[in-house]
Amino acid sequence: MAETKEKSLSDEKPKPRVRPIVRLGIFLISHSFLVSIVCCTAGVLALFLLPVLAKNTYISENALMPGSASPMLSNQHVSDGNRLVKDLTNPNSKSSETGIESHKIIAQYMLDLGAEVSFHKFHPQMNQFHPLHFFSSPVSGKIQENYSCSSYGINTVGIIRAPRGDGKEAIVLVTPYNALKSGFGEALSLGIAYSVFSLLTQVTWLAKDIIWLVADSQYGEYAAVAAWLREYQTPKFSSLSTPNAEMCPDVNNLFELKGHSISGSKFSNSFRRAGTMAAALVLKVRDQNEQFEDTISIYAEASNGQMPNLDLINVVNYLAVHRQGLRVNVEKLWPLLNSSWLKSLGEIFESLAKVAKSLYPKWKFGIPATEYVEGTATLASSLYYQALGVPTGPHGAFRDYQVDAITLEISPKFSLDKVWRNDILLRGGRLIEGVIRSVNNLLEKFHQSFFLYLLTSPSKFVSVGVYMIAFALLIAPLPMVAASLYVDANSSSNCSKGDSSTPSAITDTDEHGIAIRSWRWLNSAKLVFIVHLWGAIVSLLPYFISQIPDCSPTTSFMIWVLLSILSLLTLNSVLASPLACAKATQEKEWALVKSVTISSVFIGLGLMSVINFATAEIGALLMVPMCLLARPLKLDVRAGTLRSFCRLICNLVLGHIAFPPAAFFLLKGMLDGFGNANVGDFWMWVESLWAWNSATYLFIGMVQLPCWVLCVSILFHTC
Amino acid sequence: METFINPKSLFHLLLLPCLLLYSSIAYNSSPVEAAMHTNNWAVLVCTSRFWFNYRHMANTLSLYRTVKRLGIPDERIILMLADDMACNTRNKYPAQVFNNENHRLNLYGDNVEVDYRGYEVTVENFLRVLTGRHETAVPRSKRLLSDEGSHILLYMTGHGGDEFLKFQDSEELQSHDLADAVKQMKEKHRFKELLIMVDTCQAATLFNQLQSPGVLAIGSSMKGENSYSHHLDSDVGVSVVDRFTYYTLAFFERLNIYDNASLSSLFSSYNPSLLMSTAYYRKDLYKRRLEEVPVTNFFGSVMETIHTDAAYKALSRRNSGRFEDEMSLDQSVHHIKRRMLIKVNDGDEIHDINPELLQGEEGASKCPWSTFRNKFQKAENVDSLLNYGLVAMIPLLVISTWLVQ
Repeated sequence: MAETKEKSLSDEKPKPRVRPIVRLGIFLISHSFLVSIVCCTAGVLALFLLPVLAKNTYISENALMPGSASPMLSNQHVSDGNRLVKDLTNPNSKSSETGIESHKIIAQYMLDLGAEVSFHKFHPQMNQFHPLHFFSSPVSGKIQENYSCSSYGINTVGIIRAPRGDGKEAIVLVTPYNALKSGFGEALSLGIAYSVFSLLTQVTWLAKDIIWLVADSQYGEYAAVAAWLREYQTPKFSSLSTPNAEMCPDVNNLFELKGHSISGSKFSNSFRRAGTMAAALVLKVRDQNEQFEDTISIYAEASNGQMPNLDLINVVNYLAVHRQGLRVNVEKLWPLLNSSWLKSLGEIFESLAKVAKSLYPKWKFGIPATEYVEGTATLASSLYYQALGVPTGPHGAFRDYQVDAITLEISPKFSLDKVWRNDILLRGGRLIEGVIRSVNNLLEKFHQSFFLYLLTSPSKFVSVGVYMIAFALLIAPLPMVAASLYVDANSSSNCSKGDSSTPSAITDTDEHGIAIRSWRWLNSAKLVFIVHLWGAIVSLLPYFISQIPDCSPTTSFMIWVLLSILSLLTLNSVLASPLACAKATQEKEWALVKSVTISSVFIGLGLMSVINFATAEIGALLMVPMCLLARPLKLDVRAGTLRSFCRLICNLVLGHIAFPPAAFFLLKGMLDGFGNANVGDFWMWVESLWAWNSATYLFIGMVQLPCWVLCVSILFHTC
Repeated sequence: METFINPKSLFHLLLLPCLLLYSSIAYNSSPVEAAMHTNNWAVLVCTSRFWFNYRHMANTLSLYRTVKRLGIPDERIILMLADDMACNTRNKYPAQVFNNENHRLNLYGDNVEVDYRGYEVTVENFLRVLTGRHETAVPRSKRLLSDEGSHILLYMTGHGGDEFLKFQDSEELQSHDLADAVKQMKEKHRFKELLIMVDTCQAATLFNQLQSPGVLAIGSSMKGENSYSHHLDSDVGVSVVDRFTYYTLAFFERLNIYDNASLSSLFSSYNPSLLMSTAYYRKDLYKRRLEEVPVTNFFGSVMETIHTDAAYKALSRRNSGRFEDEMSLDQSVHHIKRRMLIKVNDGDEIHDINPELLQGEEGASKCPWSTFRNKFQKAENVDSLLNYGLVAMIPLLVISTWLVQ
């Protein structure tokens, strides 16, 4: 009964009822051209709207209570700090060729305060490309590979135990210091840290231990901090590492000497630890002072665009601005500040906001044009440094262990007279004290505020929920265009073959043909797969090239390019030259290739947006237009209309821009000027990317480069 | 005549007084007349932990100090503190708690008895304290051993919201829970009067579900309002007291144990512009006039001393009970009349209570008949007279019908 009824129903309705979502999908796919234009425009527009949509930061964690306690740092502590600065800048202390003297001075000062002191000797670990542990955390075992006794650094570590604390948590204060050629700024930063440290030995309110790390920055600030952190986080229980220390007599000498001179004190030869780190502050004082105001710059970006919790930045910003009267800076892309088009864009937004406000007074989203330009410059730099995936300071080492950390760089106002020095010691010290006291109030890890955000000013941010919209709009057309291309390619070949036979009379052979045709995309998929495989090989090549000794960046780059081309040709020939044979069989083959390429790009961008949003965003800006516009040049030339001519030009321009080295040089040229561009720069840049384990490197090698090659192959497709 | 009155209707008529008698005995067996204010208890609860909630502990400790100063002894104060601020490592002054930045008064002095501390302060324990349903091992000092003559002050502070109060950052006390606990207390005669004072955000909402008579509630803020802290101690680095509690304390600081300030003067002392919220009090369940209730009835342990004629009041009451038992059946009709009047009186005393009437009530419990006579003489209540007359007609009717037959 039911069957017959169903049959009759289906007879009445020749078209089975399609679910709305499917119908919507079909509608979008059939209008993919319009959809892609609208979405891409909206995506770019949304990106430029982000500074307008930025929200004011606020302190999300109740426990922090920054600024609720009045600073306790007094002039006494400042004069203590001043004493240390004087001792360190004293020419006598610099006489020693290894800089051990100044380390001793620092250690002695710490000991006098009653802190636990230890030296941490480390061997600088050259950043090397290890393809096998790309994403893995740094391994302690790697250190012992090759080092000599002559090259080592000494970190001085002082620990204050919280008098009534449980010793489970610690706050880290880092001051990079190069004992061999320290500027006055470094000494001053030590002075500030010391004045805070001397205060903290006296206070009763510590709940977390305080670790003061004087990082020996002669092999780089990051390396020293990273080495100390590695040691701190991965305790060695085996005795393998101990013989190494004994191999270098002068280090032992230093230890022994210290041990003898201060007997019965809290100095220890072994590595000292405190609890898990709640937060870390890296303090620097800039030597040159070109600012007309005391400013403090915050650097927050860690590897792969990871950011510390926004609350940490908020606390520093709040205390610096509202308590110590310092101006807070975050990085900006300075060239953008003077760009007139950005200014006019800002004015447009401003006037639009005015119109909106006049229509409905509650709409208040406009910001002044100058603020917009500044916001955009900050946002661009925020995006750029996150996309690069290279930490902007020693704080990046902490982020690898999920510790929230930022670098504070104080740029003092004017000359180095005594009054001014005391002032900067007092204000800097009180800022650090305030931040430490605030973090000390913390009961849990930083977790209340955002981890995924872009800053548009020190007190404004764009959260993930807002900036993802721009990205989502940008990549939304990709699957639709891919589907529509696939449908087109199939149906057009259908029609060309089977226009004689009506669809109702499908014979066996036709069915077979359709089956074959519907699997035809596999051919294109094979091509795309091969190109991606090639991309992976290209990404691995620098490892072997870097093994070649005495190679200048330029020659390395050249070798890389040559090897890449060679490997592409080899792969092409080995795997039956799919590009050549494809065009012979199908005239619409390029459409299928484009479809599969777009799909793979969509997947790649989607994955990358999870790993590092900023990279995905910039990559999408470059790749999405190129992918969507790609069309064989021959067809456009043949068509000869204005529209096809425009498309031809766009394709050529995009084809150049989207090539990773070209994009790099373009960006570099825009930022630094084209004068000093060098072919080797790209190699250096790539080297730095892999040295920092940046996922951007993988993205460029395995998503962007293959995509570019495929698009170029479509452009030059012979059909 | 026979058709007019049949034996069935007669039986019904006889049954009615019996039912009345039964119900009046059942009602009067509850010792309402004995509910005299005899003792004071205080339950002071700080529900929030963490260092940044220092002020809640300071609030509670300040109240603790005040009620102790006004005469409630430590054994009648249940102090619940959800965290230990005094010994928090972040406290700049170890083992001291202040409620003012002048640091003149250390609230955590020598003589603080905390009954429930830290993670013991849970909704479950709180409700157990109120309802008295403890496990057997719980010591007496941790129990609220109040009776039907107790005035209880229940003070709570912490973080609240619409009809809830947060406990320990992990659980909530809802207004239903509170109302239910109070109802259970009422049924178990665990209090005579209960003053609930709550200092949280949207405190007024916590009283929404209360139904039990004799409960007076005051909250620091209305629905949708926040309760704010009064000031920040920049030395300790936290806010040390909430506004509502601060002004409550300011009111009590002027008082000593002999002062006669009324609850209404306390309630009217709250200035919304100073509180930055509107103090709300709910008095529809509370029958006494607030102007006539001294604050020391709740915040202190001051109660009237009543001079009684008999040295052993309980004995005389037992005698009167025996007297009732010995009444013969034919006297029962008169007895019903009396009982009914007593019942009416009871209703009156719930409606308007003043100290003079309290005395009268005491008299009533001793000798119902004299009260009845007094009432009758004063002719205060016309309704009762009417009722009396109606009931008195019943035996008359019965006798007359019997005579006619």
